[in-house]
Amino acid sequence: MNNNERKKFSRDILKIEDIEFVSNKIVEKLKNDVKSQLNRRGAIVGISGGIDSSVVLALSVKAFGSKRVLGIMLPEQDSSDDSEMLAKKLADKFNVNTLVENITSALDGFGCYERRDEAISNVITDFDPVADKAKIEIKQNINENIPAIFSITIIKPDGKVVSKLLPAKEYLKIVASTNFKQRSRACMLYYHAECLHYAVIGTPNKHEVEQGFFVKHGDGAADVMPIAGLYKTQVYQLAKYLGVPQEIIDRTPTTDTYTAEQTQEDFFYQMPFEEMDLIWYGWENGYSEEEVAPVMGKTVTEIKNIYKNFERKRKTTDYLRMRPIF
Amino acid sequence: MNLKQEIKEYIIEASLSDFDKIKDETLIFDNGLLDSMGLLFLIEFLNEKYKIEVNDQELNPKNFESVNNIAEFVEGKL
Repeated sequence: MNNNERKKFSRDILKIEDIEFVSNKIVEKLKNDVKSQLNRRGAIVGISGGIDSSVVLALSVKAFGSKRVLGIMLPEQDSSDDSEMLAKKLADKFNVNTLVENITSALDGFGCYERRDEAISNVITDFDPVADKAKIEIKQNINENIPAIFSITIIKPDGKVVSKLLPAKEYLKIVASTNFKQRSRACMLYYHAECLHYAVIGTPNKHEVEQGFFVKHGDGAADVMPIAGLYKTQVYQLAKYLGVPQEIIDRTPTTDTYTAEQTQEDFFYQMPFEEMDLIWYGWENGYSEEEVAPVMGKTVTEIKNIYKNFERKRKTTDYLRMRPIF
Repeated sequence: MNLKQEIKEYIIEASLSDFDKIKDETLIFDNGLLDSMGLLFLIEFLNEKYKIEVNDQELNPKNFESVNNIAEFVEGKL
């Protein structure tokens, strides 16, 4: 929701003044996109108990009515128990029918867990896939001018933490294996969408789309993405307005992909949403480092390095946003 | 061939750049020669060629921002 008029950079610059107007505008567009452009009669939303999918479900209900929306929960063996409970609570709040499709056996069939665990064991030889928890994370400081590299972190049952920088081959194999999860979910969502002649409503927000924090043909597969233009803090603002349950609003955003608890900040963004939203806005709207630094309580060099980090993330993930070339 | 030359040749090959565009002091990330995957493959190259391991704490601009810095870092580990 960029304002074409250049305002003085401030911490309130992204606050939506007229939330009802913005909500109605998104709902009207969604309705038009699904009915007139896609020629479908309802909406399928994959719900995870996270803030983004909750807002998308609420918007879909406003657009199509609760009878024309189906919420699908897609847990697998590594999913948090909270996810399904919160997704159910959300669906009840908006009076939406739900289905639970557990994708563990599909993932087993793909060798998702086996391939991932094999790659982790190559790096940490005493990794026990049954007892240990694992996650990948970026440990570097975003204020430093260096590309982000992932580490693997293992948490032993006694709480001991082992962490190592991931070599290229193992990093790629872990990511490729875990991407089966998002891609299997996309298959299942489209199965139900086709059975009902509905559209799949995607849940990525602006950061996920623009920084490439999604899986191509996985959570990046959708017919329409109603919140792809919204910053994360704006998604929260909309969630409150739409009446998303407070437990979902209060929950720290996680990837819900690895066995160890992992926030989206640890995994990818390297900074809190409240800061990232504003600095990203400053970067993409041409605010100088000197204008942004004092407002954010950072040095000009730190903002310069964060701008470079954003530029690198967008450039290296261009491939994800590209259509097939022909 | 000396260490700097070998590292420079690797970066030229990996980034498909012209030889005369990379100097020992060229900032390789600022100039878009290597991105995060490029850095990861560079670490793999250093590991295979010089048998050195890089840990989380060593991953900073001081050790990796130019051919000069990388060579100094590798020499310190040999």
